[in-house]
Amino acid sequence: MALNTAALPPTVAEGENQALVRGYIDRLLMSLLDQISLSSSEGRPSITLRCRPNSATCVINTTNRALEGCRNEETYRSYSWPGSTAYESWKFTVIIRFLGVVDHALRTGQLISKRRVALLNFDAKGALSSFRSSNTRDIFYIDPAYFRSQQTVNCVVDELAYTIGVDRTALNVEAAGKGLVAGCFRLKRDSTVIVDAQITEDTMVPRIQDSDEIDISGARWVFIIEKDAIFHRLVRSSYHTRAIMGDGILITGKGYPDISTRKFVHRLFDVASNSKHRAPRFYALVDGDPHGIAIMSTYKYGSLAHLHENARLGIPGLQWLGLRITDAILASESSGANDLLFLTARDRTKIIAMLRNSPVWSSNGPEPEWRVELQRMLLLNVKAEIEMLYEQDGGLETWIDHKLFRQT
Amino acid sequence: MALSLSLRRALPQFPPLGFLSTASFALPISITIPPLLADLWESVLRAVPKKKTSHMKKRHRQMAGKALKDVQNLNKCPGCGQVKRAHRHLCSVTPEARRRNQSFAEVAGPNVITAVEVGSGTTQSLRVEAKLSMSRQFLAWGSADNAHPVDIFSLAVTEKQILSASGAPSLKVHSTTDTDFPLVQSIDGAHPLGCHHIVTDESGSRAVSAGFAGDVKAWSCQEGHWSADTATSDVRAWAIALSADGRYLAGVSQNGRVGVWDLSENGTQIRDHETKGSFGTCIDLSADGRFIASGHENGAVYIFLTDTGRMPFSLSGLVKPVRTVAFSPGGKILAAAGDSKVIVLYDTSSGEQIANLSGHAAWVLSLSWSSSGEYLLSSSFDGKVKVWSIDTKMCVATQSETEKAVWSVKWLPKTARSECFATAGANRSVAFYREATGG
Repeated sequence: MALNTAALPPTVAEGENQALVRGYIDRLLMSLLDQISLSSSEGRPSITLRCRPNSATCVINTTNRALEGCRNEETYRSYSWPGSTAYESWKFTVIIRFLGVVDHALRTGQLISKRRVALLNFDAKGALSSFRSSNTRDIFYIDPAYFRSQQTVNCVVDELAYTIGVDRTALNVEAAGKGLVAGCFRLKRDSTVIVDAQITEDTMVPRIQDSDEIDISGARWVFIIEKDAIFHRLVRSSYHTRAIMGDGILITGKGYPDISTRKFVHRLFDVASNSKHRAPRFYALVDGDPHGIAIMSTYKYGSLAHLHENARLGIPGLQWLGLRITDAILASESSGANDLLFLTARDRTKIIAMLRNSPVWSSNGPEPEWRVELQRMLLLNVKAEIEMLYEQDGGLETWIDHKLFRQT
Repeated sequence: MALSLSLRRALPQFPPLGFLSTASFALPISITIPPLLADLWESVLRAVPKKKTSHMKKRHRQMAGKALKDVQNLNKCPGCGQVKRAHRHLCSVTPEARRRNQSFAEVAGPNVITAVEVGSGTTQSLRVEAKLSMSRQFLAWGSADNAHPVDIFSLAVTEKQILSASGAPSLKVHSTTDTDFPLVQSIDGAHPLGCHHIVTDESGSRAVSAGFAGDVKAWSCQEGHWSADTATSDVRAWAIALSADGRYLAGVSQNGRVGVWDLSENGTQIRDHETKGSFGTCIDLSADGRFIASGHENGAVYIFLTDTGRMPFSLSGLVKPVRTVAFSPGGKILAAAGDSKVIVLYDTSSGEQIANLSGHAAWVLSLSWSSSGEYLLSSSFDGKVKVWSIDTKMCVATQSETEKAVWSVKWLPKTARSECFATAGANRSVAFYREATGG
């Protein structure tokens, strides 16, 4: 008794999306009630979810250059109650429980948050208009013993959103952002400036609505930075106004980026590529280690975990600024510089897994330069962190200036 | 009495009577000191006013170290062999020698005549000429451009072919009999994740390649065509070396273990040596098969005897990671180099350092001996390729065609023509050079 789970085009207006979610919940409840009303031998209440694309078969879409799953194979998984295994019935109840939360959030717009404080600060900076979304962590804290781990909640959220064919935001669920932005970026809503990243030292990455107006006309470049320590250093030295290439924007996702940061950068990239004057260039400033390259790939092509969303989150025009192993070796020659680090066994395993599994680094993939960089790391058994450039002549800032100058 | 008693207490292990007698002789002054003063006495003695420093003494002190010093930073000019200051690149003997130093990679003929004519001291200039004729000149001979889509990490040669391994899945075979260096064979899909080491035996009938995924594959050659050979699934190694007869494969693993596998018996392991566990970056087998040398990330170089499995030498001349080791054709000398930029030559019978060849300004990545053992070829991370004369321990030629890393260099086997070598690296091409013959 699979429910109607036809795929929907990803971009539908928000009101329609919410109607879709409500419709889905209503229909699901009706069918469950039908089944329960039958005699206990015949009735089998069950929920069918559409499985997200498998990461083993993903490919790079040639048109939008995003990492995507194979479209032709659609798989479904049913959870019924009482299921054949304890896991199945537990999963069933988790989904029901979760739908209850979503339904409540949709009807009342109430926020159940353990992160309320963080969100309040966020609002004080004038970024958030409504409180009508709950985050996955909140849901987890409703009943931690029951949900067992945050992973479960994330998984159920993604599966449900994928099954209904809407974005996570339509379920009024959004992970709290951890990204930071600084530089000449302004966000206007209803013709008033609500975020100006130039005034404050750093701003949480705002949630952008479709109607918002983004002003990045002053920026010549956008840096996507892996580490927030590097981000803070550049902000403190006002690099975004002092660079020889002109003003720019600094963004960090603090390690592997979350969806809200990626969505924000994607939106900026859209604005940049549609602008008529000289558009800012997008550069990635990441460590010279497997994680740095993987983070850069997450921004550019998307992640294996959210294959169905990558098309709406990628930045196809992202360029690689550094840190390359070649640069790091040159830098380590200068006096007083920190030495290069040796790869650990885990790093080596990670590189080999990256080379083997992801189409981004495959031999006929889009990034031969990244692939060979990983191989050079393996061959020389070295890696480098951006922090090593602090000791350079003129520090990190001069190094970036030189590098940018050579790239343009 | 009190003093001797306290001494006696301090050194109780001596027989009391004998000690007392000798101690009384040794004491410089023999007065009885009240016990209260015993601890202070030493400082009382020291508190005597110092002798007044004479004017002469003071003057000497002032002038000390102000005289001319011995000049010790000397070495020999690579152009003419004269002794020169180490920090000066050029020799000061004759201006012509300077000019020739800069241009000895160019045509030599006309310069020789001008030097003899113009040189102030004729005998001196002639000696310079004699030494200069030792510098070698290598001309670009051709190249297989863009042989691979990414960095070429390793080269191996046979009599008529050159095999190259890169970050791409396929191995390429180019012919060296034709100066166009045409592609003869492409072994597709050999190593899906790329290949970092490839080696051949002396006859050119077998090759072994090691991939990034840890896969080691053997290949055999039938009339110039390569195909998959015996299984080598047991081989766990990062860097590899093949014996001259192609039967034994030596390898060093990421945890520093050195192993030997017998390829004629389906690749069963016959030796397993343990080292200190530092990443094994390179390995070589001597041509006579007596020695194995492995280079490690902690700068250690180990030499093993293959017949006994004993390790007679652990050579520690290099502090930084070793990237390449190579035995001379006669097996008498081992050359090792790496991140310390110096090439160190060791005597394999004594384990002593024979020479340091310094001149590279970046990490040395690859070494190769010419078939006569007369020359050593080296390449570095900044794209420089140097040829060293083993007689004079000097660099006789430098090629700087590229600024990108040159991962591998190899002499081609000596045939009727002059000495030739091949280089390959991050510029994705295999370049060939030959020695200029005649004038």
